[in-house]
Amino acid sequence: MDRNSENGHAADGTALSLRDVVKTYVVGTDVVHALRGVSLDIRRNEYVAVMGPSGSGKSTLMNVIGCLDVPTSGTYSLEGQMVANLNEYQLADIRNQRIGFVFQTFNLIPRANIFHNVELPLIYAGVARSQRRERVERAIERVGLANRVKHKPNELSGGQRQRVAIARALVGEPSIILADEPTGNLDSKTGDEIMTLLDELHQAGQTIILVTHEDYIAAHAHRVIRLKDGIIESDSPTSGRAG
Amino acid sequence: MAGKRWKIDLEESLRIAMSALRANKARGFLTTLGIVIGIVAVILTMTAANGLQSTFRQSFSSVGSDVIYVSRFPWVMRNDFFLYRNRPRLDLRSANALERRLRGSAIVNPTLGGRQDLKFRSETMEGISVVGTTEKQTIVASAQPAVGRFITDFDVTYKKNVCVIGTEVRDALFGTANPLNQQMKVGRFTFRVIGVMEKQGGSFLGGPNFDRQVFIPISTFVKAFGGERSQDVNLAVKAPSQEALADVEFAVIGEMRKIRQLRPSEPDNFSINKLDTLVGTFNNVMGVVLLVGLLITSVSLFVGGVGVMNVMFVSVTERTREIGIRKAIGAKPHSIMFQFLFEAAAIGLVGGLAGIAIASVLTAVINALVMPASVSVGILVIAVVVSIAVGIVAGFVPAWKGARLNPIDALRYE
Ligand SMILES: Nc1ncnc2c1ncn2[C@@H]1O[C@H](COP(=O)(O)OP(=O)(O)OP(=O)(O)O)[C@@H](O)[C@H]1O
Ligand SMILES: [Mg+2]
Repeated sequence: MDRNSENGHAADGTALSLRDVVKTYVVGTDVVHALRGVSLDIRRNEYVAVMGPSGSGKSTLMNVIGCLDVPTSGTYSLEGQMVANLNEYQLADIRNQRIGFVFQTFNLIPRANIFHNVELPLIYAGVARSQRRERVERAIERVGLANRVKHKPNELSGGQRQRVAIARALVGEPSIILADEPTGNLDSKTGDEIMTLLDELHQAGQTIILVTHEDYIAAHAHRVIRLKDGIIESDSPTSGRAG
Repeated sequence: MAGKRWKIDLEESLRIAMSALRANKARGFLTTLGIVIGIVAVILTMTAANGLQSTFRQSFSSVGSDVIYVSRFPWVMRNDFFLYRNRPRLDLRSANALERRLRGSAIVNPTLGGRQDLKFRSETMEGISVVGTTEKQTIVASAQPAVGRFITDFDVTYKKNVCVIGTEVRDALFGTANPLNQQMKVGRFTFRVIGVMEKQGGSFLGGPNFDRQVFIPISTFVKAFGGERSQDVNLAVKAPSQEALADVEFAVIGEMRKIRQLRPSEPDNFSINKLDTLVGTFNNVMGVVLLVGLLITSVSLFVGGVGVMNVMFVSVTERTREIGIRKAIGAKPHSIMFQFLFEAAAIGLVGGLAGIAIASVLTAVINALVMPASVSVGILVIAVVVSIAVGIVAGFVPAWKGARLNPIDALRYE
């Protein structure tokens, strides 16, 4: 089976494409090959799950895709734009406007209330205060926390915190939402609620890539990429979908 | 558009800085101690310098800059008194001789001074400076009578028992009553008050206080208090203009040497004093005040700066994860930089304001006890600017460190 679900770089259909991406960490005298040549294309509005054993390079891949980290070699283009050539400021703009990142540990700012946490990407995008309010409220409403805007993150449950993180990820209307084990710190019921939310976003047209260890979580996606030792072991439609 | 974006960024930076400060009140306040002391030092130094300067100007405004004084001793002596101890006294005879020789080129006014007790009815003052002088006093020195008249040629010739008093003497003896034509006691003798001098503004660092003094005719002084056999005559010589002062000084030295019949090999056995001598001394005092102030200021501001830098390093380290989060959602290096610079500036400002408060209290105390002093708006502005600047300079390296963090490393920081 073909590793790339599409041939070439169909300009309008392709959200991102990686070619021979290598990421190597040097720690003292040790060299860790986190990614050892990953090539893949993801189309707009795809719903992709990345799986694999611990240490297989899932988070590293997500960080490269999310422009939090740069590959050691190989090319990465996001919506036709080569990321390797971008400077720190342009990368910040990409993270701000094209990527919505959801972390396993939520990564909310503790001192800021929910509204402010969700507002941050818009602040860094330079959106005027008057427009921010409406967009922030809409995003918070979408994750079902409209009555909690004034609360601080530590006054919320884990599931609620992750909802806030999702609201923050989608408030800037990014091209791609990346979620690295979004349910990893949640019980299965709360995890299901988060997945329902992601399903809704996908149905609304969002491209979603998520990392998980759980098959029942991966089952929400339409395509599963399995990593092992820094390379793609398999890349296939989910069983439920492909039949 | 770009300007707008900056403003939004700055707002956010300010907001974070304030909340960080609120969260770490105690730590921030302790660090500011160096800045507080530095700002107190800078304000007090400048206030003291201003105060000294204006007190000096006021106190010696009557010592004209076109006047030289001939006296037995120099005004400013250090450890060299033995050099002058054996000098002959300046007497009225040589004063008159000098006056005659300089007639037409300069005005010479002799004075004799001593301390006497004053008394008016039940009010008394002890050890007040009594100056025997002539009608030329008001030509040679700038101070004029504010009320009544000054001593005249006639008063001097006929040894009248009349006196002209300073404002502090008037206040102490007469209160708000009109002193003119009242009979008061100077020592054992009765004098009629004929005038009150205008206010000359207190004493300069224990120097003469011209408001606390009584003028009487020099002839009366000799008759009543013994005169030149026990006291030195001082001679004020006024040049026709400031430019002529050097020539007059030269002439005075020459004439005095003739009067004293000094051989060319002998040194002067009298002293020439002028405002310059005092200005020189004043500048020395001022220089020391400024130097000490500057030293204390810079040392404490440096210590304060190091403290702020420390706190900022801690603050950046503590918030490494937060920096990672902010960068992950699109914060640019300068946004992070601003955030920490604002915080550092605010810490500096807090220290500065505390310093201003303390310095204001101290200034009020100085004003009440030592000399007139007030904190000017200019000094306040400087204090605020300096304290903010120290914060920003000290915060720069930590802020830079935070701004340069790699997002993924910052996010992974535990
Ligand atoms: N900053 C780093 N420095 C050194 N090695 C690293 C660093 N980040 C990741 N690695 C190494 O790279 C490899 C891949 O790590 P990665 O975090 O991508 O794994 P993962 O698939 O996400 O694992 P998990 O399921 O446990 O989250 C691991 O061997 C890890 O030790
Ligand atoms: Mg991982």
